[in-house]
Amino acid sequence: MANPRELDRRRKSIRNMRRITRTMELIATARFKKAMDRASAATAYTDRITKLVADLTKSGLAVSHPLLEPRDETKTAKLLVLTANRGFCAGYNGSMIRHGLKRWDELNSEIPECSAEVSGKKGIGGFKFRNVELAEAFTQFEDKPAYDAVETIANRYLDAYATGELDRLDIVYTKFESISRQTVTVETLLPLGSLSDSTEEEKSSGSDTIYEFVPSPESILEEVVPTSFKVKLFKCFLDAAVSEQIARMVAMKGATENAGELIRDLSMQYNRARQGRITSELMDLIGGVEALK
Amino acid sequence: MSETTSNSAAALRCVVVTPEETVLETEADFVALPLYDGELGVAKHHSPMIGRLGYGELRITNGTNTTRHYVDGGFVQVADNVISVLTNRAIDADTIDADAAQKQLEETLSRQAAGDDQLAIRDRRVSQSRAQLRISRRPK
Repeated sequence: MANPRELDRRRKSIRNMRRITRTMELIATARFKKAMDRASAATAYTDRITKLVADLTKSGLAVSHPLLEPRDETKTAKLLVLTANRGFCAGYNGSMIRHGLKRWDELNSEIPECSAEVSGKKGIGGFKFRNVELAEAFTQFEDKPAYDAVETIANRYLDAYATGELDRLDIVYTKFESISRQTVTVETLLPLGSLSDSTEEEKSSGSDTIYEFVPSPESILEEVVPTSFKVKLFKCFLDAAVSEQIARMVAMKGATENAGELIRDLSMQYNRARQGRITSELMDLIGGVEALK
Repeated sequence: MSETTSNSAAALRCVVVTPEETVLETEADFVALPLYDGELGVAKHHSPMIGRLGYGELRITNGTNTTRHYVDGGFVQVADNVISVLTNRAIDADTIDADAAQKQLEETLSRQAAGDDQLAIRDRRVSQSRAQLRISRRPK
């Protein structure tokens, strides 16, 4: 027979937990909204860069840049995995680590020299646990990744690529598609391949304005390509931040609901146990009265 | 664009965006842009152009008031009376930290730089901090 006092204690502790998860859900919601605003603010920039590139290609300039050309031989590769600093976000970190390790194994089997970099405490822990040496680890990216910080990292990659120390850069992150849809994405960021994802679309819709280039199209291209890489990387960080908050929001919502259910079950058990005890005491009493007669 | 439509069309618009946010979106009579190799003035009906920005002062004149910003490289695209400034950073001229810029300038100048890459980085930092100082010292 369950002890009513024991049941009551459990119910109380679950109630406390529910309070915590609900607060965390609210915090995640607020942070998600902020991260979302930042991500949509960033699209103003990316859209304009894409338009600029489209106009640039329309001018008949052959787009060629060392960052766009694949290397003949890929000797060194780098893997960047974006995870969260904190837990309590369901499968978010787990799936990042899982996909990261998968790509890590693939890279290792193809390319002689590989190095891994991870952002987020959870990912760092996960990779360490599997004995993967990390070349670099970042913990400074929370829900508001700063462009300056991302740019420093991007510059390091660009320099390494330019000097030939790096031939390929892969990134694993969670891409934000909509509030109800985030997908794990494994992408090759360097070499860039193409500048815009939707080149054909742009061609049909673009206007036929003839631009004047100051100082020259080549000089602008030289600057546009690294910039679009930086922006792409920054977008990955922003997407990861938004997705993390969504994952946490959903997880905490689930936890809060689950706690509510548990409390309901326990309350029923508790009431039953209490009633059972009262009934048995009454039976005792009645039995005693009967015996006295 | 034909003359009749552009005359009735709205004034010149200037949009300043950084990867993090849209800093400024305003109408303007005249905009002075710090291009890579010198300043360029843009008024209404400027021919379409794409330019590379340097480090310097962006001045937007609207009526009698002028707003000034420090821009940190990037690009500018002028088309259909819209000036899009794409830059890494845009700081309001009044909020520039002159002391920090001075410090960075001194620190960069005192450091040894060897090799083309490091020299390029040093040159960039020097021109960045010099531009910030120049803007912050200029009387309003």
